Amino acid sequence: MSQEINSTNQNPAGDLLVVENLTTTFQTARGALPAVGGVSFRLGANEILGVVGESGSGKTVLSRTIMGLQPRTNVEVGGSVLLDGHQIVGATDEDLRDIWGTKVAMIFQDPMTSLNPVTKIGKQIGESLQVRLGMNKAEAKARVIELLTLVGIPSPEERYDAYPTQLSGGMRQRVMIAIALACNPTLLLADEPTTGLDVTIQAQILNLLDELQLKMKMSVILVTHDLGVVATRTDRIIVMYAGRIVEMGTTKEVFRNHKMPYTRALLESTPRVSNPSHTRLQTIPGRPPNLLKLTEGCAFAPRCSRATEKCSQERPTLEPTGVDGHYFACWNPLEDQAAPVSIQTGTIKEIGEDNVRG
Amino acid sequence: MSEANNKVVLSVKDLEVTFRKGRQRVSAVAGISFDLYEGETLGLVGESGCGKSTTGRALMQIVPSTGGQIFVDGDELTSLNKDEARNLRRKMQMIFQDPISSLNPRRRVKDIVAEPLDCWKLAKGAERDSIVSDLLNKVGIDPAVYGNRYARQFSGGQCQRISIARSLAMRPRLLICDEVVSALDVSIQAQILNLLEDLKKEYGLTMLFIAHDLAVVKNISDRVAVMYLGKLCEIGPSDTLYAKPAHPYTEFLLGAALEADPELEQSSATLGGEPPSPLNPPSGCRFRTRCPFATEKCAAEEPQLRDIGEGHQVACHFPLVGAHQ
Ligand SMILES: Nc1ncnc2c1ncn2[C@@H]1O[C@H](COP(=O)(O)OP(=O)(O)O)[C@@H](O)[C@H]1O
Ligand SMILES: Nc1ncnc2c1ncn2[C@@H]1O[C@H](COP(=O)(O)OP(=O)(O)O)[C@@H](O)[C@H]1O
Ligand code: SF4
Ligand code: SF4
Ligand SMILES: [Mg+2]
Ligand SMILES: [Mg+2]
Repeated sequence: MSQEINSTNQNPAGDLLVVENLTTTFQTARGALPAVGGVSFRLGANEILGVVGESGSGKTVLSRTIMGLQPRTNVEVGGSVLLDGHQIVGATDEDLRDIWGTKVAMIFQDPMTSLNPVTKIGKQIGESLQVRLGMNKAEAKARVIELLTLVGIPSPEERYDAYPTQLSGGMRQRVMIAIALACNPTLLLADEPTTGLDVTIQAQILNLLDELQLKMKMSVILVTHDLGVVATRTDRIIVMYAGRIVEMGTTKEVFRNHKMPYTRALLESTPRVSNPSHTRLQTIPGRPPNLLKLTEGCAFAPRCSRATEKCSQERPTLEPTGVDGHYFACWNPLEDQAAPVSIQTGTIKEIGEDNVRG
Repeated sequence: MSEANNKVVLSVKDLEVTFRKGRQRVSAVAGISFDLYEGETLGLVGESGCGKSTTGRALMQIVPSTGGQIFVDGDELTSLNKDEARNLRRKMQMIFQDPISSLNPRRRVKDIVAEPLDCWKLAKGAERDSIVSDLLNKVGIDPAVYGNRYARQFSGGQCQRISIARSLAMRPRLLICDEVVSALDVSIQAQILNLLEDLKKEYGLTMLFIAHDLAVVKNISDRVAVMYLGKLCEIGPSDTLYAKPAHPYTEFLLGAALEADPELEQSSATLGGEPPSPLNPPSGCRFRTRCPFATEKCAAEEPQLRDIGEGHQVACHFPLVGAHQ
């Protein structure tokens, strides 16, 4: 079932990105794995959208599919990704090369996987400037120094000649950001950009991204499992579970007035600095489902305390609440903020068969 | 809430660990002292590379300490001979961040949990089986269904439960947890944190809980110690320390922690720069190169940990709070 959203267009002025019924299915030795199972959303200019969910919920596959980065074999992509008028799904490598860097760029959790360890960072940043923007060597170097300054790397002239391994994790992420922003993209996809960094360095990088988003008038999709990061750094959020959007809306509305039990469970199992020590955490029994064995019903049903018979038979569609483009997918939505939800607190007995990797 | 009493289980005095790296010396733990009281959980928090894991490993004597003393129930660990030290270490167990790689993938779950029993020849046959079944039940794994499965068939959260069961087989007094929930998703993390709280009560454990996540550490700890570049900055009751940090570094660290609440006013003060290298730590206060309050005194004189009341100690010449009212 597609998650069609026709009725509201949050940004009638023209959306930068329109994703419609996007599916990414991997052909694996053990069957078809629907990593992204029909996702639709829109993103406006200058907007920061958070994508949040636990590991395996499809956040990375979704961002890579939007970027057009999926391999060509053993994967099937369906639906549509329209970026500023360019269709990404089914685009040729040549089309994509025109878009990458100038329209859309991506940064990843581990910069080392995309940096070349034996090439000086100045050269790595400058390469695309020469190739893509046709700058000569001297122009490129001047721009690289500018970019290194922009992303807050101290003594950029010296660092120009540094190798990635000579930099700390935080500095490498700054270099990745410089590479991503070199050709002024209109959309930046940031996949767990601060995961694994220390909190004080994370704060530096998130502040930098905020600053650059304003300065360069970009839209940003910030993918993270960290609720603190989405709460403080995004305008809107998408909550993903088992490859689908289960809730979407302005960040404030989703945090304050979520309708989907999984969203609440996620919020309530997160420890908080503002709670007294030894505050008992709510837990969600079991684990996310095996995507190879998805059923017709709601993927959260085996773990959900509100599940009814309908839940295991029919998959809930994304429905609007009527407030600020807030959508949720649930047959038995939470009434309002005050409505209690008895998330089962037991950890011991509920570990069923399907929780074991087999 | 605290189960702690006044009996000291572990006492650490001026613990030092220096690694040799060619001709250089890495000062990973640079003279830290603290006590752990029976039944309490002490959190050890700080950013990566500050020496948390090295502290835990030195307590377990996985890495040799290069200075200082470690008392376990009054016995000094580093001065004992091999056999005596091995016996004393039975009272201590450690679990790690990556449960999957710390379990042998080709062993059956019940044999993994029985490893310490087999190693110390403490139980065999039916007795061994019943101890193992009991432990697996305690950590939420049904021994009848999963006892004979191989470790490789389990997820990260399940493996962490198995590691916990194994660590309890020796009935340790002291459990050292090093980033045990850091690799887990929040919903699984909550399950493990609650499990540790329950087991601590049931087995009367004393815990040293090492982690970089400030919210996780506060949640599980009675007291918290903050570490920076091999030194303790501050130590005190969790709620007090988080409400009124006395060390400038703690304040920045707490300010950088993001609360999952878009409507909460969050601190915007960020700490610039990065920690200096432990190969060449700053003189005096090790935090002075990033501290906005640093003076000449901070470069010349190393601040010592001193009491500021209510069991709160701080190592700073100019603490943010002098004394609690
Ligand atoms: N190349 C691939 N082949 C097969 N399955 C994949 C591949 N990449 C990702 N997956 C699967 O797709 C699902 C979603 O993964 P991912 O997008 O990485 O999740 P997240 O980023 O939310 O943690 C997972 O079940 C993962 O195992
Ligand atoms: N075996 C080792 N040899 C050399 N240096 C080490 C070794 N183990 C840790 N270190 C160094 O000691 C310091 C403290 O490391 P560690 O205790 O792992 O910090 P944390 O656990 O707080 O992240 C770091 O600078 C680290 O590089
Ligand atoms: S549809 Fe049913 S199972 Fe799914 S979240 Fe809603 S109540 Fe729970
Ligand atoms: S001793 Fe000085 S440099 Fe160190 S934290 Fe205190 S004020 Fe800052
Ligand atoms: Mg991912
Ligand atoms: Mg460590």
